[in-house]
Amino acid sequence: MSDAALLEVRDLAISFGALTAVSDLSFRAARGHITSVIGPNGAGKSTLFNLVSGALRPQHGSVAFAGADVTGWSTSRLLKAGLARSFQITNLFFELSVYENLRLAAQVLEPGLHALLPAARSALARERAEELIERFGLAAKATGLAGHLSHGEQRRLEIAVALACRPRLLLLDEPTQGMSHGDTQATADMIKALAGELTILLIEHDIDVVMNLSDHVIVMHQGAKLAEGTPREVRDNADVQKAYLGGVH
Amino acid sequence: MAEAALLRAQVEAKERIQFGGQNLFAGLFVALALAFAVLAGASGDTFFFRLATEALILAGLAMAVDVLLGYTGLLSLGHALFFGFGAYVSALVLKNLAPSFWAATGITLLATTMLGFVAGFVSIRARGVYFALITFGMAQVVFKAVYNTREVGGSDGIIGIPQIQVEFGLFSVDAQSPAGFFLLTLAVVMLLYAALTYLMRTPFGRVLVAIRTNESRVAFLGFSPWRAKLTAFVVAADVAALAGSLYPMLRGFVSPELFAFQASGNAVIMVILGGTGTLAGALYGAAILTALKSVIGTWSEYHLIIIGALFMLSVIFLPKGLAGYALPRIQRWLARRRGGQ
Repeated sequence: MSDAALLEVRDLAISFGALTAVSDLSFRAARGHITSVIGPNGAGKSTLFNLVSGALRPQHGSVAFAGADVTGWSTSRLLKAGLARSFQITNLFFELSVYENLRLAAQVLEPGLHALLPAARSALARERAEELIERFGLAAKATGLAGHLSHGEQRRLEIAVALACRPRLLLLDEPTQGMSHGDTQATADMIKALAGELTILLIEHDIDVVMNLSDHVIVMHQGAKLAEGTPREVRDNADVQKAYLGGVH
Repeated sequence: MAEAALLRAQVEAKERIQFGGQNLFAGLFVALALAFAVLAGASGDTFFFRLATEALILAGLAMAVDVLLGYTGLLSLGHALFFGFGAYVSALVLKNLAPSFWAATGITLLATTMLGFVAGFVSIRARGVYFALITFGMAQVVFKAVYNTREVGGSDGIIGIPQIQVEFGLFSVDAQSPAGFFLLTLAVVMLLYAALTYLMRTPFGRVLVAIRTNESRVAFLGFSPWRAKLTAFVVAADVAALAGSLYPMLRGFVSPELFAFQASGNAVIMVILGGTGTLAGALYGAAILTALKSVIGTWSEYHLIIIGALFMLSVIFLPKGLAGYALPRIQRWLARRRGGQ
């Protein structure tokens, strides 16, 4: 594994019954870069995220993260190692306040005996929560329930919750899903700003966002890798145009 | 960072009111209990003292159920398993080993921790209604086993448990004194309440609430939901068993009915009546249900039907229980008082 790659996926495969969701997929995500995974619905993008984040165990192949073989690690172990993810379908603690969502997510920064001291004394976790609330513009809603936020705000909180543990690698599963044009642009800018701090693996349907943000693009089709390269290379690839872009570009 | 400081102040003010309200609600319970003790003591009563002590013991079981149901989101329909276990271990220790409060409660705690791990290991892997069924099944199995085991008294239970003096070094409490044992039980139950309340306000307790709210996300925050649920299960087992260990000291006997579904089901009803996820609600729920059963039981032999109807009415009109009605009002009052200063 080269020093530049934070994540290296090799020959990854999983099938559900007769359906091959991911087959022989290999790629690298370079440190500090934004690597996007695109492909039509059902191409296996979310399954790939489930495999990398430990939600599913691959039937074949390996996942290396920060130089260690992490194949088959549990989600909680991977998260402690610095690999976090957000969800395509907003997956928050809707009955808890925005603040508490973030404080909970930052709690992992203070392991050990801190778990048995009053939560109010978790200084690190609270500072992290406050920092993220400011950064994501949620201050006005911080003490309200996460379930009372607008869709766009919930999508922002979704990313903030994933960021709370200060991950080294962040998997973002369609962060702009269902957002208005303005929100999409703001979210894209925010992701771009994040890229300086950490490595991002991004699933995104909005082609403009992908083309503008990505350093590297992987195109999936029917569970396998169809092409990869810079946004320009991928856009000009004839196979990709045929399978995914439908010859529009 | 002025905005962050403001936010911190807002969150802390909200927490102070939330926690302050809970503490006040629980404090009111203690005040009511003490007022009852003064009244009952003045009238030289024994029956109601014993009944109220039993209500407090059941409040311990109800709080344990609330840790699982109200915080972690696990409906146990067999939590009397641990209550009965605690009562039996305590009875056996008092009768065969040493007539000591500390030996009885200490050994109960050790034995229940082990049993809790085993039972938790079996039941935690199931979710929702399956968890409820497994806990129900385990309690029924133990109930029938105890019922049919002559060595622990079979269907008669264990009688002739020695009357004890509870030694505190500087003073001692006679378990036979109605007022003395009532106050001791109140102290034990409120200590358990304080310990559980503390635990639920720690990061660990917050993870339990997170599990109830959205278990699937918890693993992606770096916590093992399984481990947290198992820990909660063992804590709830210990609390129920400690409450149970007081039972033979009060009544002088134990019977297999302590393990029965009736006891598990009543504990769930107490928690729902009082309001889930508040702990203090469980205290009130236990007092209300025990009082209702006793009072209505003297009027009519159909008291279970009446209690069932009352329960349905309370769920319809007070879906969040007594605490769901009282706590927001107490908290609003506190907020106004703080705001006025």
